[in-house]
Amino acid sequence: MPATTKTNTQLVVNGLLNENPIFRLALSMCPAVGISTTVANGLLLGVAVLFVQVFSSCTISLIKDHIHPRIRIPTYTLTIATWVTVIDLVLAAFLPVAYKAMGIFVRLIVAFAIITMRLEVFACRNTVVASFWDGIGMGFGFMFGMVALGAVREVLGMGTFLGYDVLGFRPMLFFVLPAAGFFLVGFMMAVFNYVETVYNRRAKRGL
Amino acid sequence: MKKEGMAFRAVFLVIALLLLGGCNQPQFIKEAAFQGTEQILLTFAGPVDEAWAEDRSHFTVNEEPDPDILLTIRTVSLSPDQTRLTIELSEPINPEQPHQVIAKDIQSEGRGLGTQSVTVSKSYFGHLFGILIGALLIQNFVFSKYLGLCVFFGTSQKKSTAVGMGITFTFVIVFASLMSWFLYQFVLKPYRLDYLQIIVFIGLVSLTVQAVDTILRKVNPALFKAFGVYLVLVIANCIVIAVPLILADNEYNMLESLMLALGAGVGFLLALFLMSSVRERLDFANVPVSYRGLPIAFIVAGLFALSFMGFSGMSIF
Amino acid sequence: MREILKITIALTVSCLAAGLVIGTTFIFTAKAKQQNEHLNVQQTMFGLLGYGKHRPAPPELRLYSVYRYIVEQDDAMRMGYLVPVRKGSGEGYAFVVLDLKGRFLESHDLALTAEEALSAEDRKKALLPELKASAEIAFADTMIIACMGGERTAYLLPGEFPGFKTFIKAMVALDPQFHILGLEVIEHEEDPGLGGEITQDYFKNQFVGKSFEKLKKLTVIKEPLPDDYKRYLETMGIEEGGLSAREVGQIQKHYQDKDIYALTGATISSAAVTNGVVGMAKKFAYRIRILDRAVDTGQVPVLF
Repeated sequence: MPATTKTNTQLVVNGLLNENPIFRLALSMCPAVGISTTVANGLLLGVAVLFVQVFSSCTISLIKDHIHPRIRIPTYTLTIATWVTVIDLVLAAFLPVAYKAMGIFVRLIVAFAIITMRLEVFACRNTVVASFWDGIGMGFGFMFGMVALGAVREVLGMGTFLGYDVLGFRPMLFFVLPAAGFFLVGFMMAVFNYVETVYNRRAKRGL
Repeated sequence: MKKEGMAFRAVFLVIALLLLGGCNQPQFIKEAAFQGTEQILLTFAGPVDEAWAEDRSHFTVNEEPDPDILLTIRTVSLSPDQTRLTIELSEPINPEQPHQVIAKDIQSEGRGLGTQSVTVSKSYFGHLFGILIGALLIQNFVFSKYLGLCVFFGTSQKKSTAVGMGITFTFVIVFASLMSWFLYQFVLKPYRLDYLQIIVFIGLVSLTVQAVDTILRKVNPALFKAFGVYLVLVIANCIVIAVPLILADNEYNMLESLMLALGAGVGFLLALFLMSSVRERLDFANVPVSYRGLPIAFIVAGLFALSFMGFSGMSIF
Repeated sequence: MREILKITIALTVSCLAAGLVIGTTFIFTAKAKQQNEHLNVQQTMFGLLGYGKHRPAPPELRLYSVYRYIVEQDDAMRMGYLVPVRKGSGEGYAFVVLDLKGRFLESHDLALTAEEALSAEDRKKALLPELKASAEIAFADTMIIACMGGERTAYLLPGEFPGFKTFIKAMVALDPQFHILGLEVIEHEEDPGLGGEITQDYFKNQFVGKSFEKLKKLTVIKEPLPDDYKRYLETMGIEEGGLSAREVGQIQKHYQDKDIYALTGATISSAAVTNGVVGMAKKFAYRIRILDRAVDTGQVPVLF
């Protein structure tokens, strides 16, 4: 794929909507289902992924001309693993409560397909600046997805938002359970699909 | 040639017997097991003197991590053939915790056999099996821990791809987990390089995948054509790094790690198989346009997850 | 051949670079991590004793940590207690060794300060030269004794026990007669919304005030929590809670000797916590009596 022609803002918006990692690209769904029980969790993991994505994208973009083609994948894995370990250590040291809430998922970031994919598809062919903004877009897209899911699950499941009692009672504990994560992601995907169909229909009519 | 072969085998057998028979001194206490909630049954290799056995003060029972807290023994009773001793304690014991029983100055048929101690715990085999079933059903990595979903949804469209992926995955994960365990116990822990866990484990998985890839290409090209493409996907699977992380965190030994990896792999296979069976049928169903493809698959997965919740809290052995 | 060489070099260089980055981060964050944990534990302890932001701890409150070790020497097992002692005009640490029956054997003075004692590494470093070369020591657990003005006011016991999912780390506070003052769940991996509710006040506060006699036989009731008890637990009888003093007294009397009401949908987690707390308290009560006796016999100038 040749280098991108999008502007920086377009890259960010792309990551948020068109190519939203969770709902459109269907990547990195493990945390979407498992961790999105509260808004706080979603935010925190989103920040962690954003960090890893941006740093990895920039690193790979910086050294893209020196990567031997046969060890492409190991290099990506190595870069991602390094940054994941860094954020893991930093979180454990400075935000221990948040770190515990995310459990094993911070260390699992290394296996998130989204990051490797992005490096392979984008970072190794584009400039550092473009990679940076794409990373931001993807990271925010992921965070947006997590927060959206988390919001629905927290409000409907526990009656709170970011820990603050909003409804005063617990509507359906079911939403906090992991099974609900599956249902909600499926539903959100359907919504995104529907929106896309409507948008396309309108665009066609507009033409 | 044949004679040499026989000699080798004989030596082998003797060594094996010696090793099995006990690097330790032969124990007079053959077996010890929990019986009910308040009793421990000791089985001796030979008859013990009644006078010695009926004296409570010859025995101490304690939970293994607390050697200073001795549990109170209510009664001891010897079986008629004088080889089985039942120790009854005054309070119920926790069978989950290994206990230590010390028998002092054992008197058997007039001879003094000294003091011997034995550890009583729930069947080890049961414990291992418990870990296996735990990783397979109760804490199924896909439906209860939501790991490995990307690959899961990607390869569960047809039964053949699903099963292929499952088998490849089980293979890789067992191998990679064993190697990770090995590296963790003998390299990372002694040198306190715990923070390198992530890099080392994922590196091992990449190596394993690469190795399996090369070996399969040479050894069985037909098999490679069938499964080769899934090998690359194995790396992007969260489970494959979660299992080494879990066995490092819980400090499992080799057998336990093997059970965990096996359970994870077979559990993943099971999940894939179930999912693909449903999705093949869904292809013929009347699904609303927006839901076609992934969304409905997620909803089905949600239903599976709900049903797997029925396994939670189950504990065999 | 050149290719393989280039690849190997490239890989090695990348690995080294990665290792360097990780190593530096580790060095920077390790200290902060320890500090954080320590602060967390401090906060939990003060919370259990009834102090917090609104009621700061008085300066006369001293928390003394006693560390228990299991010593294996020449095939015999011994218990070792690292206790804070009076050293001249200041404070220091001594290692008191008892046999398994609780008889005082020996006491070694150590060059260890209270801050150093917080780190397991420093403790081990100070202990090893005092013992014979063949001895092996294993850390067992910590107990914290809160004293005010020379009198013991509470015992704080951090501990870990198996829960429904994996382990539950908790801290139990006992008064000098071993009645429960409070319980705090520090770490757990139970299901959120179900077993995770063990951190809620209406579960934890059920333990408060249980006498030692009741504690020894404490079990779990598989019935839903009665409403009036729940209201009491969530406010613990504070006037603003909406319960009159008479109602509070009635509720306390009624439920004082009842067992613990299990959480809905989390009976196993509730039972795990109950059994864990009972185990911790019983073992501690046994050991502190033995330690007190031994310290008397050995004439060790302990600070508590």
